[in-house]
Amino acid sequence: MTSPQLEVRNLCKSYDEGRIEALRGVDLSIAAGEYLAISGPSGSGKSTLLQLLGGLDTPTSGEVFFENAVLGIAIGLDAYRAHRVGFVFQAFYLLPTLRAVENVQVPMLAVSGNGRNRGERAQALLCEMGLEHRLNQYPNELSAGERQRVAIARSLANDPGILLADEPTGNLDSVNSARIMEMLIGIHRKRGMTLIVVTHENEIANAAPRHIRIRDGRIVS
Amino acid sequence: MDSQLSFAGFAWKNLWRRRLRTLLTLCGIAMAIGAFVALVGFSRAFEHEWLRMYESTGTDLAVVEKSFLNTSLEESVGPKLSALPVVAKASPMVFNLIDLTPEINALVYGWQADSYELDSLTLTSGRRFRDGQPEILLGDILAGTLNKKAGDTLEIQGSTFTVVGIDHGGSALEAGAVIMPLDQLQKLSSLEGKVTAFHVRLRPAPAGEAQDHYVKRAQAQIEAALPGLHAIPAAERASNNQIVLLAHAAAWGTSSIALMMGILGIANTMAMSVFERTREIGILRALGWKRGRVMLLIQTEAVVLGLAGGILGLGVGWGTLRLLSALPQTASIVSASVSSLHLLEALGIAILSGLVAGAIPAWRGAHLSPVEALRHD
Repeated sequence: MTSPQLEVRNLCKSYDEGRIEALRGVDLSIAAGEYLAISGPSGSGKSTLLQLLGGLDTPTSGEVFFENAVLGIAIGLDAYRAHRVGFVFQAFYLLPTLRAVENVQVPMLAVSGNGRNRGERAQALLCEMGLEHRLNQYPNELSAGERQRVAIARSLANDPGILLADEPTGNLDSVNSARIMEMLIGIHRKRGMTLIVVTHENEIANAAPRHIRIRDGRIVS
Repeated sequence: MDSQLSFAGFAWKNLWRRRLRTLLTLCGIAMAIGAFVALVGFSRAFEHEWLRMYESTGTDLAVVEKSFLNTSLEESVGPKLSALPVVAKASPMVFNLIDLTPEINALVYGWQADSYELDSLTLTSGRRFRDGQPEILLGDILAGTLNKKAGDTLEIQGSTFTVVGIDHGGSALEAGAVIMPLDQLQKLSSLEGKVTAFHVRLRPAPAGEAQDHYVKRAQAQIEAALPGLHAIPAAERASNNQIVLLAHAAAWGTSSIALMMGILGIANTMAMSVFERTREIGILRALGWKRGRVMLLIQTEAVVLGLAGGILGLGVGWGTLRLLSALPQTASIVSASVSSLHLLEALGIAILSGLVAGAIPAWRGAHLSPVEALRHD
């Protein structure tokens, strides 16, 4: 049996000096190239779990392992976020002063190296998302679906192995939701990336090959 | 359209999004740097001209009273000073800053008619003055400003003087000055029997003795022979006389206050910018930007503000100096020259101002938690 790409052991996260427990001893293993959906009601802890898996935050107790290395100790969180994972957020989080093609390059500025091809790579990623005609638009000139496609292109900027999507269709209509999910799944298949999607939509969660449910900070199924 | 995003381009876009605020901040730092260039440049040019005057007259030492203000000393020590073996010539002098008209003030020197210092001047018209007579020489720049020529009269503090000649000296201080008989200026300044200093030209250094060593030996001889007096090398006197020190103090004091205001302006702009961009900084951190890189971005923005303001300030300062050199009130005191070193110094201060002003906002921005920053409205 191959070792998991991501693993969490007895993961706990609390806020407000322990008064709010978002995660209460979560254990989870995720293999490389797997597609996993995490669902649960609001406040269940699913987004917190995704943030810990993505190195955006540190656990109160327990550990997150990436390829058997403890996150935050054996591998730095900044480097992990820059090289290993790509994020897609519900609110897109594009930078308003930058054009689409520039937004995609923001993660590339986080890593050193030859920057001469940044523009070309960003254009190629946006073309892959079907946005070749929107390269030079600012976020406020794009539709919600287009913004999310720019965000997906941005998440692939540094060619990570893991794609983390937090409610990626939460701000979209049904047509755009279906298109975005189709894209994410297409990327997962084409690139062999691990895809972890947090959603409260059962249709999306049930379509994933693996689906876990979280309630009150614990995995219930 | 260029699709490449550079780090500097990103920083510039962040500044340019709030154009008015950025421009106002630039104006603030430009005024501060302009004040520095103009005022410190003015005071340094003043010091430089003072040194040029000593050099052009061949003065090696200035002998002054050994007190904090070294205001005046007895004229009667002159013969004793002249008798010292190292002294070739000793010239008593008085200087003062006097209003010639309500708009024009000028340095006024009182020299004896046989002073060796007069030998360094070229008379472009007229003749030298005579001791005991109400006669004056005008520097050529001052004569032009006052529209006076040899033969005209000029009233100074209620006394009428005849302009007997127009001179051209080796420094702007002479070109913009009035030179009159020592006794006449003593009377005008209520300093009868007193002088501001003796200017001393030393005999040539003995063969084999270094000039510096010789000047030090001469200093020691003079001070031993005339207790209570201080012999100061010309270069030191140029930078340490009361008028130059006062000019330096005023220039640095005013510039420092202006620079402090400029730094506070940048700091305020950067602090507001970081607060407004909290979520964006969270996005950068979420996308793998290290704390150091976020700090570098914010510091780059602050330094760009400082540098751009500094460049503008060089223009403001240079323009101010040009203006001062053209105004009759100040034209006679100093030239408008600014050294390239002074301009580089001003740019360095502008960059440093940006770094200092950006430090705290940059640290704050870099230490935001990505999750907390993303939640920020």
